[in-house]
Amino acid sequence: MYEWLLGTGMSQSLANIIMGVLKSLIIIVFLAVSALILVLMERKVAGRIQNRPGPNRLGPGGMFQTFADAIKLVSKEDVVPSGADKAVYILAPLVIFAASVALWVVIPFGPNLVVQDLNIGLIYLAAVTGINVLAFLMAGWSSNNKWSLIGSMRSAAQLVSYEIPLVLTLVAVGMMAGSLRLGDVVAAQQGGIQNWFVFPQIIGFIVFVVAGMAEANRKPFDLPEGESELVAGYNTEYSGFRWAVFFLAEYANLIVFSALATTFFLGGPSGPLLPPIVWFFIKTYAVIFVTMWIGWTLPRIRIDHLMNLGWYVLIPLALINLGWTGLYVLWRG
Amino acid sequence: MDFDPTRVAFIVVSAIAVVSAFRVVTAAKIMHAALWLGLTFLMLAGVFLLMGAEFLAAAQVLIYVGAITTIILFGIMLSEAAEVRGRGAAPLPVRRDDASLFRRIVLPALAVLAFVGVMVVVYSQVSWPDAPAGLGGDTVRMIGRALFTDFIIPFELAAVLLLIALIGAIVIAVRDNGRREQG
Repeated sequence: MYEWLLGTGMSQSLANIIMGVLKSLIIIVFLAVSALILVLMERKVAGRIQNRPGPNRLGPGGMFQTFADAIKLVSKEDVVPSGADKAVYILAPLVIFAASVALWVVIPFGPNLVVQDLNIGLIYLAAVTGINVLAFLMAGWSSNNKWSLIGSMRSAAQLVSYEIPLVLTLVAVGMMAGSLRLGDVVAAQQGGIQNWFVFPQIIGFIVFVVAGMAEANRKPFDLPEGESELVAGYNTEYSGFRWAVFFLAEYANLIVFSALATTFFLGGPSGPLLPPIVWFFIKTYAVIFVTMWIGWTLPRIRIDHLMNLGWYVLIPLALINLGWTGLYVLWRG
Repeated sequence: MDFDPTRVAFIVVSAIAVVSAFRVVTAAKIMHAALWLGLTFLMLAGVFLLMGAEFLAAAQVLIYVGAITTIILFGIMLSEAAEVRGRGAAPLPVRRDDASLFRRIVLPALAVLAFVGVMVVVYSQVSWPDAPAGLGGDTVRMIGRALFTDFIIPFELAAVLLLIALIGAIVIAVRDNGRREQG
């Protein structure tokens, strides 16, 4: 594609720009389709766990239910609350969606199948995740609603607390691979299941999954939403398409976190027989399924328990993991 | 003229940075000022990126956009004063009558002129180093080595300073909590 563009006599920089736009569009379409699939999957898994069928009217096994929901959401009236800070209110979903898409820049779907394999990939991920907090605060504050405000404060507190163990596990992964480039992290885990980082990094893996679920606002860490006490949290006032964007970003965060768990600990896009990208999706969806399983089985935890878990359990564990990784890397030579 | 994407990107990024920095000062609501500040930080990260300092750019986004702007927003949200939160209160009244022409126009103009003069002198006097040629390599490794060899003492001092600040903040927070429980 790139060569073809150059072949038409286009300058290199213009071809780069076109490729960049195309790649972003592909990522956005991929995220939208993933969200459609994940919503259905979530409802089916929830149904199965709660011993009920889940959506089953529209199409075979309720397959088209999410399409119908998506059409309903998009065709809804666009409402901006009268007391809202309009510019910030409109910007917030855009910021959160942009951050979710930006995360995908460094994730390798397969060998050479990555938007841009930055040499600071791990730090880049940590940096872009931080922008989410800002978007939550913008949404909660601009809505001029107490539920939104409390929800966004909770979100921000939760994200800031759980970002620390998350970044500490990323550091340990970087130490194992000897590089911050995600391509190198995958390359270091090639050659069979025994080379996956999940074994030497088992503490890191557990901390990453728990902290990642909290970062992605998954049940049982979905306190920012907490519909029983907070209506719906930071996005209470949002409706229609804007709400759909938040929803999309939430599922984008879930799949990005699962893709990262796959890349960091489960060997990334590698496996026998099947092409790498198929393995990538198998592993990613396996992680997603486990998070849904956990989420629909455990009750939502209380806010003070959430903070205690983050600060008293996960951060010390992540630090122990960091020390252990240092020893392991030294011992491995 | 040849189309140079780096130059175009630099112009766009720095223009946004300058405009948003200006808006930080002129925004009526302090919340907006904080958000403009976040945008300024983000654009500065873009400038670092264009200079080939990827690590610095990522650190800039991580620390300044992700942490500092968030803390500023938290501070605004948690403060009780209506005029700080910009909600339900008129903006601070500007008293024009008792501010004389001298204070309103001449003094700021003099300050701006003095600043411009100093900057012009600085820019013309200092010999700027050429763009470092070998910076394209593994900057993270270079920074890491430099931090743990040449700059180990400043690095450790900064770490201790941050620890002291952390403990200080906790001490202050705990003392305030105790007072609230008594009263």
